Amino acid sequence: MSIKKIAPTLVAVAVATVLTACQAQETKTGSAASGKSMAAKTAQSGPPPLAPLGAPPIPPDNKQTPAKIELGKILFFDPRLGGDASTGCSTCHEPDQGWAWAEDFSRGYPGTVHWRNSQTIINSAYYARNFWAGSVPSLEKQAPSAAKGGVAGNGENDIMESRLALIPEYRKRFKEVFGTEWPIIGHAWKAIAAFERTLVQRDTPLDKYLLGDKSALTEQQVQGMALFNGKAGCIQCHNGELASDQDYYNIGVPPNTRWEEDGLAQVTFRFELYAKGMTEEGYRTTKADPGFYFRGKNKWDKGKFRTPSLRYTTFTAPYMHNGVFYTMEEVVDFYNRGGFDEDGRTTAFPENKSKLIKPLGLTDEEKENLVAFLEAFSGEEMLMEKPAMPEYAPLFTRAELEAAQEEK
Amino acid sequence: MVVRVSTGRALLAATLGVGMAVTAQAASYPDIGPLPQLKIDKAKAELGKRLFFDNRLSGDAAISCAECHVPEKAYGSKEALSPGYPGNGHFRNASSLVNTAHKNIWNWDGRIGTNLNDMTREMITEDYIMNMDMRIMQERLKQDPLYVKMFKDAGYGEPSNGSVRKAIPEYLKTLTSTGSPFDKGAMSASAKRGMKLFKGKAGCIQCHNGPLLSDLKPHNTGVPENFDVFLDPMNHQAFMAFTMFQGVPDYRNLKRDPGYFNVTLEKQDMGKFITPSLRELKYSAPYMHNGVIKTLSEVVEFYNNGGGKDSNKSKKLKSLGLSANEQKDLVAFLESLSGDPLTSPKYVWDQPYPAEYPVIENWTQVRN
Repeated sequence: MSIKKIAPTLVAVAVATVLTACQAQETKTGSAASGKSMAAKTAQSGPPPLAPLGAPPIPPDNKQTPAKIELGKILFFDPRLGGDASTGCSTCHEPDQGWAWAEDFSRGYPGTVHWRNSQTIINSAYYARNFWAGSVPSLEKQAPSAAKGGVAGNGENDIMESRLALIPEYRKRFKEVFGTEWPIIGHAWKAIAAFERTLVQRDTPLDKYLLGDKSALTEQQVQGMALFNGKAGCIQCHNGELASDQDYYNIGVPPNTRWEEDGLAQVTFRFELYAKGMTEEGYRTTKADPGFYFRGKNKWDKGKFRTPSLRYTTFTAPYMHNGVFYTMEEVVDFYNRGGFDEDGRTTAFPENKSKLIKPLGLTDEEKENLVAFLEAFSGEEMLMEKPAMPEYAPLFTRAELEAAQEEK
Repeated sequence: MVVRVSTGRALLAATLGVGMAVTAQAASYPDIGPLPQLKIDKAKAELGKRLFFDNRLSGDAAISCAECHVPEKAYGSKEALSPGYPGNGHFRNASSLVNTAHKNIWNWDGRIGTNLNDMTREMITEDYIMNMDMRIMQERLKQDPLYVKMFKDAGYGEPSNGSVRKAIPEYLKTLTSTGSPFDKGAMSASAKRGMKLFKGKAGCIQCHNGPLLSDLKPHNTGVPENFDVFLDPMNHQAFMAFTMFQGVPDYRNLKRDPGYFNVTLEKQDMGKFITPSLRELKYSAPYMHNGVIKTLSEVVEFYNNGGGKDSNKSKKLKSLGLSANEQKDLVAFLESLSGDPLTSPKYVWDQPYPAEYPVIENWTQVRN
């Protein structure tokens, strides 16, 4: 218990350091949007530099073991951890689609569509909070939230836990890993989180370069890196080991036009506003995802989303919380225009747009160099064969049932 | 709450016991007879009908209420066990919904004793039944222009969860027995002899009384378990999820349906089920809470033998000593309690549902 207490404190300190550094940057560039601590004043330097990715943090109350990781892997791919036994984690986080879903919106539960882009599992272990608006504090909390959400897994604890109880291999594996007679659903999320903490990529060209192998990047990529750290200003938010400061910004991403053209997407959109507790007026009039606003219901947070890592992005298109950009070129063009798409569209909450976002004046060659450098954040594609799914088996024999009938 | 209920039941049981002692059994029980007429709001019932047959009222939009409550089966299930939600099975036979609006307690175990509004919510939201987040359901309905019109015409304003829970019960009122030989006074001679047995020698009237031919009370008649509940993991997972949710002790090792026990968690209620109505049995085979008895003559045989084996079985049940002819007469009477099938478009929504949700135009500007 005391160990449990220590860990979050350490994480909090680490996050606070990153936040402080970031705010220093916001302050320098004149943003008043965040309105956070004045600690920025004392910060001496700019954002932390890009750095090679270390080992992921392991929570002290969910240690990694080979048996737990193996169990988590099977569970990750098991569609029975969802409402109608057709949607598991991998349904929206497909290994061959970047451990994500290669459409603007995640596919969602049958009969629905999701409203945000599915994020990659690769390196998700490093985030202090998960989901685009940071609504959960750990992978252990992300898994059940996804498995139960109405437009995601739409499962409930009682039916999912009952399914596990009727699969002999799970009974055996849960007992081995967690020591319980019967599988407990909360343990399933722990095992899945443990498996996800193995899905990290630390040997990208960028990591190799930063560790001293100067041949790991091309000349063009080195030039792109200079832009990244300088003229293009990417480093202001995409910094440190993860290339993310894990803070929340409105960078001007325009609403996905699917909400104007697709009835099913409109259904989900209103449901999300309803479910996340908008006022009635807000529910009837809001037409773009308010994102981080849902966390504290502060109007200055509308349209903010957590800075995503740039790692593994070669395999995770489309990009942004609502998947509006399908290529890195489009993303770079978007930033170069100061947060506008090619049709001049920007966030529906322009009053909250970060002051960090402004036209960059990059030449075509510079944009190409930047895109080339962004590729250095990804190594080899991480593919995985899906494990065989263990089968259901009756819990009782006919003879046992007949004996029980006699005893009635 | 629980204590009050059981005390009331004990008193009632005592009263019935006294009634038993008197030889003129029938006089002690509410008489069987025609059902009262229900006032129906046409627009609300029509809306309820469309909702009842709409797959979009389930989580994955794959099943409607009619998946388990099949019109041709008097709005009960086709097989012994209800199919349940996709991805799992079920552990009970879906009750006929004909005359359900005349009841005051619902489900085989009687776990809903308020109204059909609550029952509708229970069926739509339970994960092993329709697994619907009603907030998504509301938004689906708001995306269907015909529903927008029908809710408005019914006086409900815009589509909402609360109105769904009112409209479906209004539709269910229309599912009331009509045209049975019993109600029309057109019973055969055999059925008339059967009715005499029903009220007398066979003692059915003890529990099957009043216009519904049900006392709407829980009894243990010793119906054998349907082993398919436990031998098929699809059914067993629904059973396990249900008993877990109900707080039944040691639910994973349970090898029997606890019935009314899951309402009171009191031992004397183990294996009790609410007396079903005997109307429309012609359409609703197989019988009992778990569908283990296939025909009406087997049901009569079951009671002629004094019911099944259970240490908690009702004292009302004992061997009846009915002759073969008497049993036939009893079956004839039971058959005379079935009326016209409620399968015409008056009762069944037979128009297609839209394959897609039409887009709301000018979406960024409209309030919706």
